[in-house]
Amino acid sequence: MSNLVTLESPLHHADFSSLAALNIEGGVILREAKLLGHLNLRGNANNLDFLNGVKYVLDLDLPLQPCSSTQNANTTIMWLSPDEWLLIVEGGSEAAVEDKLRQSLSGHFAVSDISGAQTMLEISGKDCLQLLQKSIGYDLHLDSFPINKVIGTALAKSSAHIRRTGEQDFQLIIRRSFADYVWLWLQQSSKEYGLSVIL
Amino acid sequence: MKQINRIDNGGRINRQKTLVFTFNNKTYQGFEGDTLASALLANGVDVVGRSFKYSRPRGIVTADAQEPNAIFQVGSTQATTIPNPRATQTELYKNLECHSTNGWPNVDFDLMGAVGKVGGAAMPPGFYYKTFMFPQSMWMSYEKIIRKGAGLGCSPQLPDPDSYDKLHHHCDVMVVGAGPAGLSAALSAARAGARVIIADEQNELGGSLLCTRQLLDGQTAQVWIDKTISELAQNKNVILLPRSTVFGYFDHNYIGINERRSDHVGELDHNGTRQRLHKVRAKQVILATGAHERPLVYGNNDVPGCMLASAISTYINRYAVVPGKTLALMTTNDYAYKAALDWHDAGRKVALIVDTRASSDGDMVKKALQRGINIVFGHAIIDVKGSKRVKSVEVAKLNDTADKVVGATVSYVCDTVASSGGWSPVIHLSSHTGSRPVWRDDVQGFVPGKTVQAQHACGGLQGVYNLSDVLKDGFSCGAIAAKEAGKVHGNDFDDHLNISPAVDEFSESAPMALFHIPHFKPTSRAPKQFVDYQNDVTAAGIEMANREGFESIEHVKRYTALGFGTDQGKLGNINGMAITAKSLGKTIPETGTTIFRPMYTPVTFGALAGSDVKQLFDPARFTAMHSWHLVNGAEFEDVGQWKRPWYFPHPGETMQQTLRRECLATRNSVGILDASTLGKIDIQGKDAREFLNRIYTNPWSQLAVGKCRYGVMCKEDGMVFDDGVTSCINESRFLMTTTTGGAPGVLAWLELWHQTEWPEMEVYFSTVTDHWATMTISGPNSRKVLEKITSADVSNEAFPYMGWIPAQVAGVKARIFRISFTGELSFEINVQANYGLHTWEAVIAAGKEFNITPYGTETMHVLRAEKGFIIIGQDTDGSVTPQDLDMNWVVGKKKEFSYLGKRSWTRIDNQRNDRKQLVGLKPKDPNFVLPEGAQIVFEKDQAIPMTMVGHVTSSYFSACLGYSFALAVIKGGIERKGQSVFLPLADGTTVEAEICSSVFYDPKGARQNV
Repeated sequence: MSNLVTLESPLHHADFSSLAALNIEGGVILREAKLLGHLNLRGNANNLDFLNGVKYVLDLDLPLQPCSSTQNANTTIMWLSPDEWLLIVEGGSEAAVEDKLRQSLSGHFAVSDISGAQTMLEISGKDCLQLLQKSIGYDLHLDSFPINKVIGTALAKSSAHIRRTGEQDFQLIIRRSFADYVWLWLQQSSKEYGLSVIL
Repeated sequence: MKQINRIDNGGRINRQKTLVFTFNNKTYQGFEGDTLASALLANGVDVVGRSFKYSRPRGIVTADAQEPNAIFQVGSTQATTIPNPRATQTELYKNLECHSTNGWPNVDFDLMGAVGKVGGAAMPPGFYYKTFMFPQSMWMSYEKIIRKGAGLGCSPQLPDPDSYDKLHHHCDVMVVGAGPAGLSAALSAARAGARVIIADEQNELGGSLLCTRQLLDGQTAQVWIDKTISELAQNKNVILLPRSTVFGYFDHNYIGINERRSDHVGELDHNGTRQRLHKVRAKQVILATGAHERPLVYGNNDVPGCMLASAISTYINRYAVVPGKTLALMTTNDYAYKAALDWHDAGRKVALIVDTRASSDGDMVKKALQRGINIVFGHAIIDVKGSKRVKSVEVAKLNDTADKVVGATVSYVCDTVASSGGWSPVIHLSSHTGSRPVWRDDVQGFVPGKTVQAQHACGGLQGVYNLSDVLKDGFSCGAIAAKEAGKVHGNDFDDHLNISPAVDEFSESAPMALFHIPHFKPTSRAPKQFVDYQNDVTAAGIEMANREGFESIEHVKRYTALGFGTDQGKLGNINGMAITAKSLGKTIPETGTTIFRPMYTPVTFGALAGSDVKQLFDPARFTAMHSWHLVNGAEFEDVGQWKRPWYFPHPGETMQQTLRRECLATRNSVGILDASTLGKIDIQGKDAREFLNRIYTNPWSQLAVGKCRYGVMCKEDGMVFDDGVTSCINESRFLMTTTTGGAPGVLAWLELWHQTEWPEMEVYFSTVTDHWATMTISGPNSRKVLEKITSADVSNEAFPYMGWIPAQVAGVKARIFRISFTGELSFEINVQANYGLHTWEAVIAAGKEFNITPYGTETMHVLRAEKGFIIIGQDTDGSVTPQDLDMNWVVGKKKEFSYLGKRSWTRIDNQRNDRKQLVGLKPKDPNFVLPEGAQIVFEKDQAIPMTMVGHVTSSYFSACLGYSFALAVIKGGIERKGQSVFLPLADGTTVEAEICSSVFYDPKGARQNV
């Protein structure tokens, strides 16, 4: 038995390193931000102790404005619903963060490690808006989808949480079991613009 | 090959680029910029098809979406062929191949023609209803013959090689139609800062301006079009969509647009998207769809050469095609004189203009007189002579009220008849959202009625036809819409920009309201006067329908098939209503109008399907170990959207052989199953335990930390809807597992009860289905395998049945559950899914010495059935209580709070002794596997219909038991154990089986508890 433990992201089989080596100049640029720590946090936004506890652990405010997000060097927090947030932390640190949250939070809350359940795709490039127009029904205009906004929406026949990080930069959080479908969809939909995979 | 009707100059065609094409296997030439229709007319093709019912020869009538006759099968292969596009809207491309869709066996000599010639009396309206209705059982055979005769095109027989996609848009102002009204509306809306989309069905934006000879600001219309498009194109907030038909207008200003991106290039260009569906959510919608010219209804008005007046102008000005030598024009208005003027100026002969009005002194009339054209006022063309082309027309005088002809007829020789009965606003889209059109006498047409949509209408759609008024209307409408969308132009905006260009207008006299030209004979005896060409609906037919009592326009429509063709009544409906109104002595608004529905013009299925085809038709979900299953030759089964290994055949094995091998290996040594697809819900909060008490039928108060329990969930009706094992992680945290297919439904169910009934309970639910990769090792050697890859104590003493422990497995943090769905000693190893394949491979390696055997869902089904373990949805169907399953042990008797399903079990119907109950069945022939779904009867010798008392739910051959067995639900089955039942099968045989316990293997459960 080998002692070497190997991790595989949900899109391991897509072999992004080989695709990146092709150096395709595409209108859509795709990167899998793989193997990050994902934690689902539930709690009462009116409970000051809860808010302070999160702030203490992550050194970051819990975003309370619907569909907003906050970020510092190590952590991104995305608002998912009035009592639900997604914490993205450095891969491998999720267990420690979960423990610290359990120690620091009081009252009614829940933390679930879902690092294996999903992956993050970063989409950018001059044609990435068109690609998203094919994939989701949401209005991508900066007035309705400003930078740092997070939406949960249908992506083709699957679903995604999508955060805008720049005018032409988006993070897509997709479910593991649907990852292959989303990957096929993104390939098909970006065909006319050219798809450039980066690592 | 000469294009005999092509004139030397003018037109928006590229004479440098000749395009060769074939129609009904004959080769012709046209130019880039032609439509298929203009190219056929240029070549002097008169007959393009045969009519639906009478099989009369038909020619091109229009130059737009109204075209009823030039409906073709376009395409050269069975993969790319398109049924029924209108030649008038099909851009010509190199090597286009097309055929008439009707006219079986060909357009020039048609067997069905004989039927038509025998006379209309043989085929009155309602023919199909009257003749083919009885006997009803024969309808299927009739239909085949009728379809062949009717000829509505053929669908492609081979897979579509093209790709399609969809694009979502949001905008402030959606402008439908890019004629003068739409373009000016888009300009002013865009200038106000609005996000604008403007779509037009034609290949060029400009609409009626593309074939006008009027000047704007002293220059040709083209100059204004170019300037306008350039300004719009430079505005980053504006999207221009030519070749894009707005086919549907739905609630909440949701618009469907079909953009044809490569159809005009040719059918074999398979790169990129052939057609794109744009789905637009607009704050404001401006309909600038213009108007369609109405033909007049007169005798033999379907002879090839009878056309719309405006179509003649379009063919001459836009395509440089004069579709004949000598023209007779019949009109009720000044505007149609344009056709005669254009014809004359193209150097061909105008035989006469027949104006149904007593007089007119409009500018157009004067121009005609200046050219020496013969105008006859107060007359009408009452009949046309000719069969495959117009030869002459019969002209007679109208009485004062234009409902009778008087005096003698005069014959004029001509080969083309243009008619104009005025214009009908294109109200189709405005009716899509349920708004009822309103008749306006001054417009002599229906205009959009009241609507709940944020909708504006301008230009021809509102009955505004004068070009300078249309432009003004457009500018003002665009500004209003932008304002209502919350856009007001900035400071640098110069209002005079929105002053519309000056147009050299001409004066017009009032048009006359006339639809149906009278004949000396009553309509029923007169020559056929066609209203709806595609369905051969005549004025006489409509009058007959009225006489037979069909007075509502909706009934008339259905009885006569008026408006049922692919043109959906664009050309004929208003005339049909006018004829109904006249025959019933009502006004048109009293008669009403039929409502138009999407699609405005047909949309290919490919465009509607978009990219959601083939592997993208439905998402396939995969587990973390999928690549291993592929390499190891698994056959897969769809379970919901999941691809689960079904069985793992070795080369040369039949499925039965594989199952036998997998079952025996698991029972005798060790098997491994990928169970990752089971739903998993992380339940946290101090009330989690009590919540479980209320959701599950069994009690959870005593379940200790580290223990697992099987539970059953019922809906309020007391019927089982899901099951699974839930484990106590700590005092305020439980991990629930659900069936694979039931996972999302169970989570929603928990949320529903929490949010609506018990919001006071402190509990959160989060799905962790995808987070865990789950592998079950099962069989007497499973512990030995596990011990090789974990240092945790997994002995029966330290880790008894129905418990769980945290452990390191193969170097990975894991949870191991001692639960069993096979009845064997089993361990279910759960790891974070990114470690799934690593752990699986480590288990396989460790199990090698025990011949660890991967098995799929089928072996799992057999093994669990041997133990009598149910599968929700297979052994249950939503009408089964826990008691019916003989599972009273899973029903809590002492729970403090009530729980879901409990009350319903006290209903009398749920307490009947003869409810269908789950039992085992042993066929008398131990090798015969009962078909699942087979019906069960108690008495073999009954008359049909027999009294059916149950059915087989699961049935397999058991390699371990050495005989076949089944699970079944049978009325009162639990009390009937030991009795025989009979199963009459589909092949006529009847087999016998004995009712027995549903547990066939290891009834004491010793094997899982070691």
